[in-house]
Order: sequence, then C-alpha cells, then structure tokens
Amino acid sequence: MNFDLDDDQRVFAEAARDFFTGTASPADARKSLDGDAPTAPGRQAIADIGFYGITVPEAAGGAGQSVLDLAVVAEQAGRVLAGPSLVTAARASVLLEGDDKRLAGLADGSVSYAVVDAPGAPALDAATATRFLSRDGDDLVLSSGTVTVGDPIDPTRGLGTVELTDSEVIASGIGERWDRAERVARIILAAEGLGAAARAVEMGVAYAKEREAFGRQIGSYQAIKHMLVDSFVGVEQLRSLVWWAAWTADESAAELPLAAASAKASAAGVLEQAAETLIQVHGGIGFTWEHDAHLYWRRAKVDRLLLGDAASAFDEVARLALASAPTNAPDPAPVELEPTTAS
Amino acid sequence: MDFDDTPDEAAWRESVRSFITAHRDELGHRGARNGRDDVPAAKASQACMFDGGFVGVTWPVEYGGQGGTPMQQAIVDQEMARAGVPSLINLIGIGMCGPTVIAHGSDDQKQRYLQRLLRSDDIWCQLFSEPASGSDLAALRTKAVQDDNGDWHVTGQKVWTTGAQIADYGILLTRTNPDVAKHKGLTMFVVDMHAPGVTVRPLRQMSGGADFNEVFFDDVVIPDSERLGDVDNGWRVALTTLMSERLSLGGGGTDIGVGIDAVIEHSANRLSSLSSDQQALARQELGRAYVASLGIRYTGYRQLSAISRGESPGPEASAGKLAGTVASRAMASYAVRLLGQEGVFARTADGSDTWQHLEAVLPGMAIAGGTDQVLRNVLGERVLGLPTEPRSDKNAPVKSAPAGGQQ
Repeated sequence: MNFDLDDDQRVFAEAARDFFTGTASPADARKSLDGDAPTAPGRQAIADIGFYGITVPEAAGGAGQSVLDLAVVAEQAGRVLAGPSLVTAARASVLLEGDDKRLAGLADGSVSYAVVDAPGAPALDAATATRFLSRDGDDLVLSSGTVTVGDPIDPTRGLGTVELTDSEVIASGIGERWDRAERVARIILAAEGLGAAARAVEMGVAYAKEREAFGRQIGSYQAIKHMLVDSFVGVEQLRSLVWWAAWTADESAAELPLAAASAKASAAGVLEQAAETLIQVHGGIGFTWEHDAHLYWRRAKVDRLLLGDAASAFDEVARLALASAPTNAPDPAPVELEPTTAS
Repeated sequence: MDFDDTPDEAAWRESVRSFITAHRDELGHRGARNGRDDVPAAKASQACMFDGGFVGVTWPVEYGGQGGTPMQQAIVDQEMARAGVPSLINLIGIGMCGPTVIAHGSDDQKQRYLQRLLRSDDIWCQLFSEPASGSDLAALRTKAVQDDNGDWHVTGQKVWTTGAQIADYGILLTRTNPDVAKHKGLTMFVVDMHAPGVTVRPLRQMSGGADFNEVFFDDVVIPDSERLGDVDNGWRVALTTLMSERLSLGGGGTDIGVGIDAVIEHSANRLSSLSSDQQALARQELGRAYVASLGIRYTGYRQLSAISRGESPGPEASAGKLAGTVASRAMASYAVRLLGQEGVFARTADGSDTWQHLEAVLPGMAIAGGTDQVLRNVLGERVLGLPTEPRSDKNAPVKSAPAGGQQ
C-alpha cells in the first residue's frame, strides 16, 4: 500500500498553485460580489492551461489523466476561490464520454457547459454557460437556455436557474454514467472545499501568531488554539477522504459511491467549521466586508448545499453501509481497550 | 497511490493468516475485556504469536524482533483483529517501554529484558503520572536519592498506571534534583515491581473495571545499573516513551474501542424497530460515524505510508488519537441510543453490555495518554506553530512550586 501523491502529482500541484495564485484571489471574489466583475481566472484562462481537459481523453484534445490528478488541481483552485469551477468540467467530461467533438470544445474552452439537475434547481457555473446538459429519463439532453441569476451568496459559483430551450437528445442509456458523473463532481467539489478550508486554517493561524491581546499573542490562548486545531484536524481527515475518493473514481468503481458521499459530506462540515473559525479568530475585523474571511464563509454556505446536502450524503453512506451488513448476527466481541497512563 | 498489498505485503499477510489459522486454539479468542482477567492465557497467546515471529515486528532482530516495517506490523494487527485473536497483553511494554530501553538502555539491560518482554515472560508498565502531575508530567515529585554504594532509594507515589497489578517491571520517572527547572532534574529507571517497598493498589473506574492503579514506593532500592540514560536526563528519555505512546495510540488509523463494522451490524439489527422518522435521523448519525471512521482510517494509512518512506512519526500522530476519541464517543453514544429505553440498563435483556460499557470507558480514553486538550496544545504548538501558553513555573525548581493537583 502506498497512500500518497506521487512525484508527478506534487509537481502538478505546484504548477496549479502558481497558476491559480497568479490569476485569481479572494479580492477578485469580492469584486464579483461588489459588481459585475467576472469570476477569476475565468473559463478561457483555465482552458488554456489545460485544466478543463485533465480527464478528457487525449484523442479528444485532453490530457487523459486521472480524477486524482484533477482533484489535486481542484484543491489549488479552492485555495483562492477560483471560478468557474472544475466541478462542472469534471462532470461534463464524464457525461460527454465518447463524444470527442464536444469533449474537445469542453477542453479548449470554446463551449461553456453547465449541468442542470432539475428544472428550477440552481446550477453551478450556469451564469456564464451557453450549453446545458440535463437528463430526461435515461437520455442525456443538450440544450440552450435562459439563465436567471438571483442574488448569489457566493458569486464565484456562477449559480443560476435555467429555463431550457432547443433541447436535443445526444445519448441514451446514460443512467449509470449520470450517477458516475455526479459522484466525480462531488469529489471535485470536496477537493475545492479542501483547498478553501486549508487556506482558511492557514490564514487563521497566521493572524493568531501576529495579533496580541491582554499582553500576548492570541494564538497562545487555548480558546483560540483549540478552535484552529479542530479545524486543522478536520482538514487532514478531509484530505484523506478526498484522495481516497478520487482514487476510487479511477481504480475502484465498487467503492466510488461510498467514497464520493463520504468526501462530500465531510467537506461540507469541514469548510464551514474552518470558515467560521477564521471569522471568530479575527474578531471584529473578521466580519467586515473588506476582510477575506467572509468570502470563504460564503463559499462554505453555498457548497454545503450543492450536489446534495450533508444530511443526504450521510444518509447515503449509511444506506450503503447497512446494505453490506450482516443482520441478526450475535453481538460483537466486548470492548478491548488498552488505556495508558494519563501523562 | 495504491491500496493493494505489494507482493511482499501480500506474502507477509498470507504468512500471518496461515499462522493464525494453524494456531487458532492456542491463541484464544477476543472476548475478555482485556487480558488482565486471565493472565496465563493471555501470556500464552502472546508467546505463541512471538514464536511465530509476529510480535515486535519493527524491533531489531538482535532484540527478538523481525527488523520489519510499520506496514508489516499494521498487517499483523489487521489480521489479528479479523481473526478475533486477543490483543497482546504486553502492549505497553512493546509499544512504549521496550522502545525506551532500546533507545537509552545499556547492553546488559537490553539483553536481560527485551526478548522476555516480547514473549510476555515479563509484563511491563509505565510509571509516569502522579496525583499532582498528570498532564503536567515534569512536575512530578517521586524522588530518587543515591546512597554511598551508588544504589538509588525511591520514595513517592504514581497513579493511573495501566497494568501495574500484573507487571513484573516498569519504567519509572523520578526526580533526582529538586533545585533545577522541573524538566532538568529527572532520571529514568527500570524498576522491579516485585521489589520490597512497592505497593500496587487497583483503582476502580466508572466503567466498573480496574485497569489503572496507584503505585506506592516506600524506600525502594534500585541499583544504579537499572538507570535508563544519564542522571538528570530523564526528560529526554521520557520523550522517547511519549513519542512511541502517541504512535501506538493514534497511529495507523486503528479503531479506538469497538470498530465501526460492529456499529453497522448493531444498526442493521436495531433500526427496523424505530419509527421511519427516527430511522432517518439514526441513518444520518450512522453515516456521520462511518465517515469519521473512514477519515481516521485513511489518515492512518497516510501516516503509515509516510513512515514507510522513512519519515519519522511526528506530533501529527496526536491528531489520530484526538480524532479517534472524539469519533468513538459519538459512535458509542449513538449505539446506546439505538437500544432505546433498554439503554437505561447496564445490560440488555439478551445479556449484552457492549455499548453501555464502551460509553463508560471512553471518557477515560479521552484523558489517558494525553487529554484531548493537551493533544490540542501539542498540535497547535508543534504542528501549527502557534505560540505556547505562558508557563510561570517553567524555569522554577519543583521544590519551590506550590503543591497542587488532585490529592
């Protein structure tokens, strides 16, 4: 067993970090919130560096890499609250499997896709999309549409409700493919959440070392320290779940439903906790418009509800676990614990 | 990234599995609360595993180990759990005392103690905490004074010592110089638990069990040859022990308490007796427990992978224990609530007390081996690099400090 990124993936992560920190920042997210500024780095820039095509086959102009590779990049996108989301690209590249022409348009950024789960449901990246993928029974439908953008909590998500027009069935018998696409999307959403949460913890730690109150740095107070540690421990658990889930998408189809639901459910809570801790650690400045903390908080409050909320994801985890459990078996062996000294 | 066994790991797993199958009767079955209620059987079980070459896997060959990898040890643990083989009775010796002797003991000590420890010919315990110094370990007061012959005379009291009632030896942290800062005047010894002047008194816990003990030292004589490391250098020796403890408690993603599979099985048997609303809520809670356990398992795998690459286990290992106790307590509480009103009884009508017992044990697990709060300090300061809590007594000699703590 070797549960770690390989050297290529580390190099890839570095490159992605350089790209995203050079092209997007929470300040861009604030600009979008203040006015009509586009999300950064924007569709074409992400396409040009090749990140929309990571999981698109080489024959269709992509890189033919793994979901894990994409997750590694998505984490870096999440750190700076980049948009449009790699979630949409990940999902569309599964839905368009075998359709090399359309995959090429996805990968090179010439066509902007969004996926519509249900009429009236907010769709990720719909605000800037021109082509919409949806499901009608077992058919995959491609449509144009009219997008209504409401008052977004997080403008980087490009959320909108879509009225579909000019629909065309482009594939049939796609039930399993639809489910797989949704699961891969959940994993990439969790990966973006991982990056955002990790960055929130870093920002909180940096401030706790710098800010002084009552004659000492506030990070020396256990009340502050312990909040940050709990967020950090959550982030590390989430990192393990995201990597595992991405690996199952590539290598272990049987575990994918459980792993994707686990990563999604964990991400919702971990990012919320990290973002709320970030505000709390900063005190008064933490809830001002000018500080970045609320931009991470906004991301958390939106992401928790996308692609199913945490409650439904936990429910799915439980159903999958129960489905594989033996029933009416004797109770398990009594507890065997090895406590040690309280030192 | 690859979760499958490597060919070497698969071969090792197969050898563990076939050994356990071949020696099923000698090994006994997991079932006793811990091995301390039938010591001879537990010792025989460990000796059998030792003879097979599966105890102290990561220890050097010259001390009776296999010179193996942490991954091989993890595979042994997994296979023992899968087969329902009881945990080793001498875990504290193997996980904490032995590594300390290996790092700081004399050649003579290593020859005399280590192999017998692995076979569980001798059971070991760790004598660190005191009534007035649990988390504040370095504030301990049990004193060791050297006489003209070079022998040390130890007087004082330890507490929360796991397994002292069955131990043959212990590693004992003492104060040898009360006039210097508290971390500086400590010395570590190996103590014979059968020596005159040693009195062990079990402490009954809220769970009803008695795993911990008070240990009294009344002018116990320890030859200088039983010293571990240099005089007044005991803190450094103790850090070796604590690092090993952290890893053995929180490393490898092992379950704390009953594993999640047992909780799922319990749920599968009980859920149907609930209303559909209650079932929906219970499923969410089960899902939450399962996700927590998966997070701990895979974070443990990341640690094992890092250790396999040659990285040494750092303070990150504390995160595993912290996450584990938090998740286990939520899991136990959920499992008891699934019993419905029957959960008010310590034992249900069918005679089972698994979940009630677990719930009563876990508050202690959140304290033993470093409280959740101390672990948060360790992680905050050593991993996140946050400033330390001011310590007014850090440089003060212990003799000038006021007596405090729980008496």
